[in-house]
Amino acid sequence: MDFSFTPEQDMLRESLARYLARHYTLDERRRIIAAQPGYSKAVWNQFAELGLLHLPLPEALGGLGGNPVDLVAVAELLGRHAVVEPWLASSVICAPVIARYAPDRLPGLLDGSATCAFAYEEGHGTADPADIAMRAEPRGEGGFVLDGEKRLVLGADTASTLLVAARLPDGKLGLFLIERTAPGQSLTSYTTIDGRRGATVRFDNVVVDPAALLDADAAATITALVQTAHLLLSAEAVGAMEALLELAATHAATRSQFGKPIAAFQAIAHRLADMKLAYVKARSLLLQTAALAEAGLASPRDTAMLKAQAGRLGRQLGESAVQVHGGLGMTDELAVGHLLKRVLFVDLAFGAGDHHFRIIGRPAADAMPA
Amino acid sequence: MNIDRDPALAAFRAEVAHFLDTAPTPDIREAGLKTTCVFAPFEATMAWQKLLNQKGWAAPGWPAEYGGPGWTPEQRAVFDEEYCKRDLPPLLPNGLQMVGPMLMDLGTEEQKAKYLPRILSGEDYWTQGYSEPGAGSDLASLSCMAVADGDDYVINGSKIWTTLAHKANRMFMLVRTSTEGRKQQGITFLLLDRMDYPGLEVRPIIGLDGFPEQCEVFFTDVRVPQSGRVGAENDGWTVAKALLKHERGGAALSPGFFRKIALMREAASTTRAPGGGMMADDSVFQRDLGVLEADVTAYAAFENMIRTGHALGRDPAMPSLNKIMSSELGQQVSVLAMRLAGIEGLPLQLAALDVGSGVDPLGSWHDLVAMPAYLNARATTIYAGTNEVQRDLIARSLGQA
Repeated sequence: MDFSFTPEQDMLRESLARYLARHYTLDERRRIIAAQPGYSKAVWNQFAELGLLHLPLPEALGGLGGNPVDLVAVAELLGRHAVVEPWLASSVICAPVIARYAPDRLPGLLDGSATCAFAYEEGHGTADPADIAMRAEPRGEGGFVLDGEKRLVLGADTASTLLVAARLPDGKLGLFLIERTAPGQSLTSYTTIDGRRGATVRFDNVVVDPAALLDADAAATITALVQTAHLLLSAEAVGAMEALLELAATHAATRSQFGKPIAAFQAIAHRLADMKLAYVKARSLLLQTAALAEAGLASPRDTAMLKAQAGRLGRQLGESAVQVHGGLGMTDELAVGHLLKRVLFVDLAFGAGDHHFRIIGRPAADAMPA
Repeated sequence: MNIDRDPALAAFRAEVAHFLDTAPTPDIREAGLKTTCVFAPFEATMAWQKLLNQKGWAAPGWPAEYGGPGWTPEQRAVFDEEYCKRDLPPLLPNGLQMVGPMLMDLGTEEQKAKYLPRILSGEDYWTQGYSEPGAGSDLASLSCMAVADGDDYVINGSKIWTTLAHKANRMFMLVRTSTEGRKQQGITFLLLDRMDYPGLEVRPIIGLDGFPEQCEVFFTDVRVPQSGRVGAENDGWTVAKALLKHERGGAALSPGFFRKIALMREAASTTRAPGGGMMADDSVFQRDLGVLEADVTAYAAFENMIRTGHALGRDPAMPSLNKIMSSELGQQVSVLAMRLAGIEGLPLQLAALDVGSGVDPLGSWHDLVAMPAYLNARATTIYAGTNEVQRDLIARSLGQA
């Protein structure tokens, strides 16, 4: 057993960490979020240059053939800086599906000129693909009509295509690739608390070609996409936790009250110790689950457990970081609040913690993944 | 990364499983089922150690030159897993995980030759004489005095929390040999060959669970040979610190927690929930069990980081992180088990818990052990450096980072 990154992974992390430390400062991040289109083309082009857009794709299709550990190695750093560019939503979740079913659409995703958004969530944290209710009805003249609503579609407003999960008449799950310009879609876009772009997408009689249906029995594919989301959101949370712990420890050592650094008060010291415990637990579980995923051994239960833990431990740690910072922790001007909101996003998206924990605690026969 | 399991381990696992299935006597199995703390029922557990020693497996953590089996870390993990699955009593840690490894590092050749074989075979049981009524977390303030006199030391004072001192035939202890300089100086580490020295008196203390596990030991002009000293006079603090690093003995604790979760899952399927149905279907119980399993899985991952030498496991605060995680998880496991037992945990069943008593438990095995295990587990966050002291150490290491 070995849970270390390879020298190649370490090298990529060093380049990315150097770039982010220099160019993804808190001020720059706030400027990116405040302006259209809600993420930075310059950062995105740099990601393309670093190979991040190629990383999740197989080599045969011009990708770099990255494995789950490669992606975790990157996502941890993106979480550390609470990066808002749609790398996870477009490059990691959607691009490999497009590569497999519609490779002609891939070049734009690779050169950075196009993005795709995953329209999956239907409300209250759709933890299980089996809960998807949106319908796709076949038309007499061929193709399908889609009706329904998708929530928290990350990067929808700038995407050129949407990857949509919808239920077919035979009860199976279908996966559709739909042009964002196809008539009948209405978007309510917003910025999420952690700075990403999201949208509620309404589909009213959206008519699509037969070719838009990529997979007519996509339950396994969609489950795998949710697993990827769980693994990489957890990596983002762990990266954010690392930064939060460092910020809080530094602040406690330098902030003086009652004539001494607040770290000298045992109540603060023990809070910091608890933060370290939460971080070590979360990161150990992340690395172990990443190794399982690389070996093809990570079950949906494993990745859901990781996501639930990263969210739970991340929120505990983040709340403590705000508390240690005192009033300053309440402002938009420090990174600490931005990082707390990044872990809150992870806690709530793709099935909230309590839901996953309850499934894990079910009687043995039910608790096993399908 | 690489998580592949060595295929040769399958054969090893089968060999371990066969021995653990066939070797233990009924008394040993009963002791395992009636284990409610780190210190399993004494007589049956020492008998089990003798059987394991005949197989060469009594001390998985010892180097082969001293009688260890010479297993790889992966084999060790397989052994721990298979052991826990069968609810066998854990071997008592004082000799195998504390005195033994310390002597390998710091003992004289005579001390090693005299003591190590008898620790391995289970002929000797060593009680630990560290804490005193006035020296707990602040151990270095201990005051039990030893005065050199000819070839002997003459000891006066007392020790407390000497686990199973009333069953022990030997004792390792810290005594004060000087009151000059810093309090850590002036402490000496002694090995006592007997527990029936004139002037030595043992008083068992009844614990929260109703059992006399802990003891107090009083010394009145107890004369012991200086040949039992480890290290130099007044340098016992160094010896004690060296011993501390062996205290866990490298054994993984997560397999035992996973086993208890599996047993709880099983018990919940036949435990009625208030308002109808079974506890296994109660959504609050499911959520709490789920959090617990996720937390134990995270701890098991941390144990893997330690075992494989990953940077996370090489953290300077690792011993404190490990001690807090393992003790608090053990308590959380015991709390959920106690809640699951409900009122069935309320009858005091001391006789039924006694190995060989022939007294049947009033309800299930789970109900019998849940409450004493819960009560005994309160000690885990107090002993071996309270968790408050451990948190101080972790915070200090953050300040230095």
